[in-house]
Amino acid sequence: MSNPSTHPTATVRIQRFNPETDAKPHMQEFQVELKPGVTVLDALHEIKTHQDGSLTFRRSCRHAICGSCAMHVNGKNELVCNAPLKDRLDRNGRITIRPLPYLPIIKDLVVDRSSFWEQYLRVKPWLMPPADTPEKEFRMSPEEVAALNSAETCIMCGACYSSCQIVGLTKEYIGPHALLKAFLRVMDPRDAIPGARLADLDGADGVYRCRTIFNCIDACPKNLNPTLAIETLRKLAQKREAFEQARIERQKHLDEPIPAR
Amino acid sequence: MPETEIIVHDILIVGAGLAGSWAAMVAAKQGVQDVAVLSKIHPLRSHSGAAQGGIAGALNNVRPVAGGGPDGPLEQIPAGDAPIDSVDLHVFDTIKGSDWLGDQDAIEIMCREAIDVLYEYEHMGCVFSRTPDGRIAQRRFGGHSTPRANYAADWTGHVLLHTIHEQALRHKVKFYNEWYCMDLIIEDNVCRGVVAMDVLQGKIYTMRAKAVLFGTGGYGRAYKITSNAFANTGDGVAIAYNAGIPLMDMEFVQFHPTGLYKHGILMSEACRGEGGYLLNNKHERFMERYAKGKMELAPRDLVSRSEQQEIDEGRGVEADGQGIWLDLRHLGREKIMERLPQVRELAIDFVGVDPIDGLVPIQPTAHYSMGGIAADADGQVIADLAGTPVVGFYAAGEAACISVHGANRLGTNSLLDASVFGRRAGYAMARFVQNGAALQPVSGDPAQRSRARVQALLDNPGTELVEDVAQDLKTTMTNNCGIFRDEARLQQAMREIKVLQARFKNARTMDKSSRFNTDLLATLEADHMLTFSEVIVAGALARQESRGAHSRTDFPQRDDDRWLVHTMAHKNGADGPQLSFKPVTIDYDKYPPQERKY
Repeated sequence: MSNPSTHPTATVRIQRFNPETDAKPHMQEFQVELKPGVTVLDALHEIKTHQDGSLTFRRSCRHAICGSCAMHVNGKNELVCNAPLKDRLDRNGRITIRPLPYLPIIKDLVVDRSSFWEQYLRVKPWLMPPADTPEKEFRMSPEEVAALNSAETCIMCGACYSSCQIVGLTKEYIGPHALLKAFLRVMDPRDAIPGARLADLDGADGVYRCRTIFNCIDACPKNLNPTLAIETLRKLAQKREAFEQARIERQKHLDEPIPAR
Repeated sequence: MPETEIIVHDILIVGAGLAGSWAAMVAAKQGVQDVAVLSKIHPLRSHSGAAQGGIAGALNNVRPVAGGGPDGPLEQIPAGDAPIDSVDLHVFDTIKGSDWLGDQDAIEIMCREAIDVLYEYEHMGCVFSRTPDGRIAQRRFGGHSTPRANYAADWTGHVLLHTIHEQALRHKVKFYNEWYCMDLIIEDNVCRGVVAMDVLQGKIYTMRAKAVLFGTGGYGRAYKITSNAFANTGDGVAIAYNAGIPLMDMEFVQFHPTGLYKHGILMSEACRGEGGYLLNNKHERFMERYAKGKMELAPRDLVSRSEQQEIDEGRGVEADGQGIWLDLRHLGREKIMERLPQVRELAIDFVGVDPIDGLVPIQPTAHYSMGGIAADADGQVIADLAGTPVVGFYAAGEAACISVHGANRLGTNSLLDASVFGRRAGYAMARFVQNGAALQPVSGDPAQRSRARVQALLDNPGTELVEDVAQDLKTTMTNNCGIFRDEARLQQAMREIKVLQARFKNARTMDKSSRFNTDLLATLEADHMLTFSEVIVAGALARQESRGAHSRTDFPQRDDDRWLVHTMAHKNGADGPQLSFKPVTIDYDKYPPQERKY
């Protein structure tokens, strides 16, 4: 941008790679104006729309709910849409953006999340309700709902998955995102198959594969804690039959009002 | 054409938000073997997931505490106590909200089926917030006379979207993720499929189907300040229009009263539903002057106009006077953390204010498209004023105009509209296919036109940047076809759109590659926005009255004698839209038009 400007500039270093034309990834630098309130996504957009239209990345909602724009910024996975650019610059005014690690690169900052979605499918992310459904809603206490909040707000952005060193070693591992989803289903009083779920998660690719490195917690843009969910699933797997029995008991009362305390 | 470039399904759905996913899930559940969904973004990225405050439905779980006033506390309705809400009341509120432009038969269906849809969501695993006795929690929302916004904290759309996507997967729906629909194949008023690009490879395919549904979303990206996602570029609306399908009531664009200042990002209406205030630069609750009975919980069109009037008369906030304060401080930390955790984070992230102790700057933001592809209550798209069906073509959700929202949508009725009519369209398409609909032949190579279109865009050496043309469109739509409109400004918008359409022909796509070319997608999206924006302005010019979200300063009154009609716009070659007008379905005994006061 050659226009004189009162704004300082930031240097945005971006890893570029088009497997159809490039032998290997390389870094490219762009300059953008550091206007007040600019996010990292705004900077990428400015580059794409006015400097190099071939720069490729995913984005949609721009307020941290759709999960499209997770990237590797200055060595850490995060959503770029709610990341202020000025907070991400080093003292030389530079930011470095790469695609999410451990995943095949489709083009520039766009990665192939196939293994991520396959693991999501593998845990059967849908609720399996009891055979009998009431005319109205299943009754759940506010406390039962609160216990699920730490999983239901997951936006499936992949920041945790691609920060996990176990995922880096093997794509057989179910991964923190899908284990968190499994946790959501296992903990839901309406789910009729928690025992079968826990048995599935109990294998070599499941809850015991986690080495509690905590990268997933650091990476999660929604401040969720997949490690704790995995830990809980491990404990429940140990007492699977008792947990299953308790669920059967709970489901006998799913159509009844929660008693007042 | 090479066999490998033709794909065949029984039912093909474009768009994977609530409307498309419901339709797909229901059709598959009804036993249609071969249901496919294509979406330009991954289904879980769809903008339905950004909806925050709730989904309407008269469940009668909650009531105001007696004597607590219009913004007093709520309590669960004890077992055995009389209900306070009804389907009829929901219907009336929606009709009044629509400024009597909504079709009352469709509104009745929506409000009645709300009950089934909500319990179905709950049975499918949706994690709603709860009353102490375990029922679905409800809160107040603008224009609704009872607390009937059923919610999951302030991420309601997110949990609904994830729930329905999971169920579609469970019922073995096939997904084409990151495929971009480019064209509709319609011959002799029969839909035969679509043409779509696999974005990853850049290859264009003919996709044949017995039934096609567009659940492609709204068109808010045509405005500068908008709550809408980058994806909401009205592609389906523009593609249908170009294929000769009429668009209905396109001039009705909803501006939400509380977009974050400068960003437009949504601060849920639940902020006001939970008791938040709107303040001008004198710290007055100015809504007292505009809607004394409902205050901040008047419908969105009225609140946005009131804000804009405060701003225009010099009582705005922030350096440029273009903002309004949203005050949540009196709600207290606990309530904000429990009920509005997402909006709190958004305010912190984007304007650096924690609503627990600071005033949040907001401004009206383009939010929802009341208009869209004309369809009936089964999602069946119609070809003309007589209601002739376009065989095999359906539409639902924000892309469609059924019409349940008329001139102004009430908050929480959009998630409901997308769910109810997506579901109904799913049943209708399943019946259509199971009653023996055949795969219709296509003549020639329908994809050829799209391939040529892409090649021409890639080959265009133009001197303009697509983004500059798109930004100028947004500027003129915001300045000249926004909250307040008049003849002169609308004429200017029309002139500028014509100039922009010409400039677009000289705009270049920078990325020339075939693989995952999002620059090419942005060019196609800009083309679509230039197409439907002309229809919005044409409708706004024609409609010489003020009704709902369409506010003409030169025609400030509602005019039921001339304008209690839907605007239908057909493409008429290069001459732009050809307008005709369709009567509104009104039950004159039950819900006759009245003056709309709050």
